[in-house]
Amino acid sequence: VDDIVRDVKAYILDTYLPGENPQALTPTTPLITSGILNSLATLDLVTFLEGRYGLELEASDLDHERLGTLENIARLVQSKLATRK
Amino acid sequence: MPEALAPPTRQLGPIATIVLQFALVLLVIWQFRLESRTFLHVMALLGAGFVVHALLPLRLRLPFFSVLSLATVLVAFGLWDGAFLIALGMALIGICHLPLPLAARVGLLLATGALFAVWRAEWLPAPWSVAIWPILGSMFMFRLALYVYALKHDERRPTLARTLAYFFMAPNVCFPLYPVVDYATFVRTHYDRDAAHIYETGMRWIARGLLHLILYRFVYLYLVVDPAQMVNLGQLVQFVLATFLLYLRVSGQFHLITGVLHLFGFRLPETHHLYYLASSFTDFWRRINIYWKDFMTKLVYYPSFFRLRRRGTRLAAIVATVAVFAGTWILHSYQWFWLRGGFPIEAQDGLFWGILCILVVFGSLRELKRPAKRTLAGGPRWSLSLALRTVGIFATICLLWSLWSADSVSGWLTMWIVAANATPRDLVVLAALFAGGLLVAGRPWSVREPDVATAQPLYRRPAVRSTAVLVGLLLVGATDFYARIVPPAAAMVASLQRSTLNARDAALQHKGYYEKLDNASRMSMNVWEIQGAKPAHWVALSSTPAYRWRGDFVRGDLRPGASVIFLDRPLTVNRWGMRNRDVPQAKPAGTYRIAFLGPSIVMGSGVGDGETLSVFLEERLNAMADGGRRYEVLNFAVADCSLVEQLALLQERVLAFEPDAVFFADSPRLQGPIVSQLLNAVFKGAPIPYPGLEDLLRRTGAFALADKGVPVPFQSVRAGFGMLGVPTRMPWPEAEHRMRLAAADVVRWTLRSIAEVTRAHGAVPVFVLLDNVGNPGKEVVPAVREAADRGLLAIDLTGVWQDHDQAALRIAPWDNHPNAAGNRLMAARLVELMQQQAGALHLGTRGEKPRG
Repeated sequence: VDDIVRDVKAYILDTYLPGENPQALTPTTPLITSGILNSLATLDLVTFLEGRYGLELEASDLDHERLGTLENIARLVQSKLATRK
Repeated sequence: MPEALAPPTRQLGPIATIVLQFALVLLVIWQFRLESRTFLHVMALLGAGFVVHALLPLRLRLPFFSVLSLATVLVAFGLWDGAFLIALGMALIGICHLPLPLAARVGLLLATGALFAVWRAEWLPAPWSVAIWPILGSMFMFRLALYVYALKHDERRPTLARTLAYFFMAPNVCFPLYPVVDYATFVRTHYDRDAAHIYETGMRWIARGLLHLILYRFVYLYLVVDPAQMVNLGQLVQFVLATFLLYLRVSGQFHLITGVLHLFGFRLPETHHLYYLASSFTDFWRRINIYWKDFMTKLVYYPSFFRLRRRGTRLAAIVATVAVFAGTWILHSYQWFWLRGGFPIEAQDGLFWGILCILVVFGSLRELKRPAKRTLAGGPRWSLSLALRTVGIFATICLLWSLWSADSVSGWLTMWIVAANATPRDLVVLAALFAGGLLVAGRPWSVREPDVATAQPLYRRPAVRSTAVLVGLLLVGATDFYARIVPPAAAMVASLQRSTLNARDAALQHKGYYEKLDNASRMSMNVWEIQGAKPAHWVALSSTPAYRWRGDFVRGDLRPGASVIFLDRPLTVNRWGMRNRDVPQAKPAGTYRIAFLGPSIVMGSGVGDGETLSVFLEERLNAMADGGRRYEVLNFAVADCSLVEQLALLQERVLAFEPDAVFFADSPRLQGPIVSQLLNAVFKGAPIPYPGLEDLLRRTGAFALADKGVPVPFQSVRAGFGMLGVPTRMPWPEAEHRMRLAAADVVRWTLRSIAEVTRAHGAVPVFVLLDNVGNPGKEVVPAVREAADRGLLAIDLTGVWQDHDQAALRIAPWDNHPNAAGNRLMAARLVELMQQQAGALHLGTRGEKPRG
């Protein structure tokens, strides 16, 4: 999980928060309610996750519960990877 | 252990604070009479419910909230209608859980929805009141989709308590327009943080909601101008700004609603976030009505995108965005159907959503190419670039909003005619607005507050801030304390403490009685709240067989011999086309005859044949009659009869009855019916029977309304089309605007003609200013003085309703026409005022008070 959190954090910092303090983005920082992930950014993130981990996400995966924080994203990726196995 | 799961006794301090704040909330609602009386009752119930709820163990709180929500339905609708509302809702919930495939359940839900729609449209009789539909609709029309979506995608089964709480959630029963709360969010956020923090946030949002609602009242009463009355750039800018600012009511209600839900543990996200300060169109879409954006994103945007993304991200994003906006347009009409009836599909809506869609698509594509930079720590203190962008977006949205709110596209285009008329004061105010806008908009207001409570100075603590807002509102509302020091401010605040119609809506409602211009889709929430309860069979007189449309200068009159039920009362017309008992045309000896012309108030809309103003007037005068003299009052009034039409009817039929006095009655808004009637005559090509009047009308240029061709606004544009050989005509709104500019002259001409014609036939002309039940406006109506100047006796009856229980004098809550008691009261006052001019009227009555 930690690896996934680190990867996604790097992606978000690089794409949407360049120059921001990495310490300010924690695994529990709200990503959707804080405006970091809007609908377009969410779709970009989906493309990143699918490409990075070789999994396929569905429209119903894109909610606050699954993508709301780095922690939740990591759990979603992990569960998808587990299903694939 | 999370605080939410801790024993409630550990939360006693915060709970007591919330209880005190809630008492302040109730006081503010009471003091400003916000929303309805039902709202105050429901809020009081919820306040008591909060105490019990907060002290219950966590496992019992949701079931308690469900029961409390169901109780609010019964409080608002009573046992009978409330029980039906709950039963119909339970039927829908039951279908969601039938042991059938999902597709079959969705099919059943659609079929049931269609049956409900038939009831909503009042095509089938039902044992419940039609008033339940807007609330039932708002509870289920969108939430059902989210609930079924959750049933499909979420493995956790909903409990009965959670389902009931979701659909019947308090305080939905007071708000037909309700945020589309997502089921998954509703479940996820329930006591997911410290309870005291959730309650504090809720109270802050409630205070913010109340503030928005009071600001809305100010905008509604003091900033909204009637587009038909605008004459310069300043008023135009004020109108455009005010139409967007009116949205404060929606954001106020939504903050209030989600704030209340916080008090029951639902830590729902914000519904609106500084939407006047959006810095791009995509940003605007994400800030205003966030729940709707989330609803469309979840059910339309993501599914559309995923279906198409193999064909390319850009194409998928464009199609998905278009689908969202097309869906929003259609669902807006669908929502309108449940809330107000009717299914409006209008050009303004299409243009508004279409243009906004194009702007958002371009914004999205730009964002896809170059993602906007976010910030975690806040940006610079002030940025010119941000200020310019934000002011630009605000101005554009104001323009779009004014188009969306306009009666018609051509009406919206026509209103820009007045932009050419700019005074230096207008330009200074505009420059000041621009500069002020830049100052405010350049600050990075969009930085969110920290999600978790952190140590803050006392004055920034949520509880302190919301209490300060509530106490501040109460102090502002206590006008008695400062009325002597600053009377204008006290009077202004006092006016905000009543839910009254502004001048524009009062005019619209007045028009609606007669001309069916109360287009439901353009009606303001204030008018709709009154009109929404009107039964479907309460139609305009012109839709009944008692009305006879004419093709000439006079639009219509009463059909001789007609007998109908109109507004639930018998309406009978005699052989002469009067709502009167039968009378011989020749005046009997010893009789003093008054011919009474006027609009619906005089005709007696909503009262029986024996309960009209003329009947009561005749009774009173005869009760006071001296020396065997008899009085007859002949009712020549017709609904929607303008003053100019009264002149025509005077010559056509009234004078043949040899009246001793002719009463011409109209309301303070007498110009509206005149403009409407004259436009009608011009459009139909009906001859104008008065050369003087025709000359006045020709000078307005409005005769171009009758040209054959395509309606095109602005003379210069029509001329351009003409050079290309394309036939055009003036559109109705432009002709109306031009005619309105001449309306005061037309009134003066009409009064003079009325006086001359009446006196030439030996009768006394009397102008009676009257109005439906309500308080008279503050403005002086020039027609009374002008009537007196032109030789008519002038009587002002508009103050007759003051100091009376007005609700007891109306024919219905949604219709301000006077009932029988109201007509009796008007007759009594009219006789008093006639007595004061008894000599001029040659009345010859005893100076005593009438009997009975």
